[in-house]
Amino acid sequence: MDDIIRLENLVKIYDTGALRVLGLDRTDLSIKRGEFVAIMGHSGSGKSTLMNILGCLDRPTLGKYYLDGEAVDEMDSRELSQVRNRKIGFVFQSFNLISRMSIEKNVEIPMIYARKKPGERRQRAIELLTRVGLRERLWHQPNELSGGQRQRVAIARALANDPPLILADEPTGNLDSKASVEIMELFAGLHREGATVVVVTHEENIAAYTHRIITFSDGRIISDRINENPTSVSESSDLADRIS
Amino acid sequence: MLLENMKMAFAALKANKMRSFLTMLGIIIGIGSVIAIVSIGDTMRRMFTDLYKDVGITQAFIQPGYWLEDLRQSDYFTVDDIEKLKEIFGDDIAYIDSSASVSGEITVGRRKKNFNLTGIDYNYQDVQPVDIVYGRYLNEGDIKGRKQNAVMEAEAAKEMFGSENAVGKTFRMTVYGSVLEFNIVGVYKKEMSPFQKLMMGTGNGTGEAFIPWTLLTWPNDFFYSLRYFADTKLDEEQLSALNSDIVSYIARSKGRNAEDFYFTTAANEMGAVDSVLGGVSAAVGGIAAISLLVGGIGIMNIMLVSVTERTREIGTRKALGATTTDIMIQFLTESAVLSAVGGLIGVMLAAGLVSLGGLIFSLPVVIKPGVVIMAVGFSALVGIFFGIYPAKKAAANDPIIALRYE
Repeated sequence: MDDIIRLENLVKIYDTGALRVLGLDRTDLSIKRGEFVAIMGHSGSGKSTLMNILGCLDRPTLGKYYLDGEAVDEMDSRELSQVRNRKIGFVFQSFNLISRMSIEKNVEIPMIYARKKPGERRQRAIELLTRVGLRERLWHQPNELSGGQRQRVAIARALANDPPLILADEPTGNLDSKASVEIMELFAGLHREGATVVVVTHEENIAAYTHRIITFSDGRIISDRINENPTSVSESSDLADRIS
Repeated sequence: MLLENMKMAFAALKANKMRSFLTMLGIIIGIGSVIAIVSIGDTMRRMFTDLYKDVGITQAFIQPGYWLEDLRQSDYFTVDDIEKLKEIFGDDIAYIDSSASVSGEITVGRRKKNFNLTGIDYNYQDVQPVDIVYGRYLNEGDIKGRKQNAVMEAEAAKEMFGSENAVGKTFRMTVYGSVLEFNIVGVYKKEMSPFQKLMMGTGNGTGEAFIPWTLLTWPNDFFYSLRYFADTKLDEEQLSALNSDIVSYIARSKGRNAEDFYFTTAANEMGAVDSVLGGVSAAVGGIAAISLLVGGIGIMNIMLVSVTERTREIGTRKALGATTTDIMIQFLTESAVLSAVGGLIGVMLAAGLVSLGGLIFSLPVVIKPGVVIMAVGFSALVGIFFGIYPAKKAAANDPIIALRYE
């Protein structure tokens, strides 16, 4: 089995001193390489906890987490930084671009922390921004772009170190419906090219783009089903063409 | 990576130009005043050094102690004392005289001017060279023959006679109660900086001329002080040995202790001036350094604000793979750059002001490169030191919380 993610009996307890909150309750989950998965649930369902653990931003209280074959739960914070840098491409709800840098520089950030050479970084950043249809905007600052464009920059940034896993946390939460479609089509395109994409969302129509929908409630998986009929996207492989 | 951090630091500072400038101001003022004060101090020391070099660094004075209550006639000096000293220490003494001079009005026709006539031996020029522009210097014949000849300073000569070439002209002056008429046999020029003129007390209306010391000091006279110039080829040790030998010889010959004589050298006085100036520079520099401390606290303050403002950025960077150390170094670089740029501006400002002052007062300004490098380096250190706490705070951010921070 070529699992990119494998969770075994994962438990997360938040200890606030006064009371203990069970974030995740004995969760088992496997996601295979190349899957396009939605994680759904209301707030407090445990999906954010799962997102933080999957993204190596937080550590489980108990249980095992294998990411790309490595036992992440045993790593120290320095190793976790490296895992986030090389293995995971984050896409956030509010884009989280750094405002005083050009979008090209923003895309370079993960490569800076991967200690890549400046020439290589720049070439890769331009290539990625071209792929998401922002070739003409390389030297713009994030605040000169629309929300949809900013999220495309964030996706380009997530792809910078060619990570095996793309992890998107409510990627369309701050976008209008047209831009949401654009972004979901981009993810669908990446999936078609072989990427593993995990999208955390509470919107049905966003989850509808994915091929597998996992629903959380009270820290447990209450349903894990295959989406037989994902929202279809145009079949062109050139992402830039479709968007712009 | 360091280069990348520097670039990021400059970008962050540029993003908040006004704030960065105001933060730097403390460092600019601190470093600026330290550099200015140290440079002014160095300039003053250099001027005094030059001044004393001109006066003759080996020059020494000896007098019976002014504190003596039982001053006797034998404590005074005679021409015999000078002859004996020449005999005994002749090889090491380049020049010796009775340090005699008279001040008073000289008259040329109806013109009058205050003058200071210094009694010198014919070889005084060996230790205090002057530039003879007309005529000649006093010679052995003038001294031995007690001739009423004089060598006058050029500017004073021009004032008295309308021309610098006053050779052959005469003037009158009352010396020890009798009116003497002097023939001018030579005119000399002495180049002095405005500062030297100021310090030497000339150029303020008192003319200068040299006359034979034998006119002021008779063979059976008793006089109060001796001055000599030791040979400049002596090293420091030999010089101080010579000086103490001479003092103890004189004390012995007069039946006194060496402590009963007042003795000073140009080098001593220069040392005193130097240490006073050094002390003043150090004290004022220390006060200026306090403003650096205040500047450093200003940097810490603004870095803390910046860290809070950029909580989300820090969270994002951590999510993208920055380690705690990466974040720490990023913010440390930023505060170091902020402070070092402030230091650099401060140095340039101080150098500009000090040079301008030098131009206005036509003084040779001393700005040591070592001081400049130290100042910029030190301000970077101030930045790093005061940046540690904010940087630690930045690095300690939990990415989950930081990412949610609004």
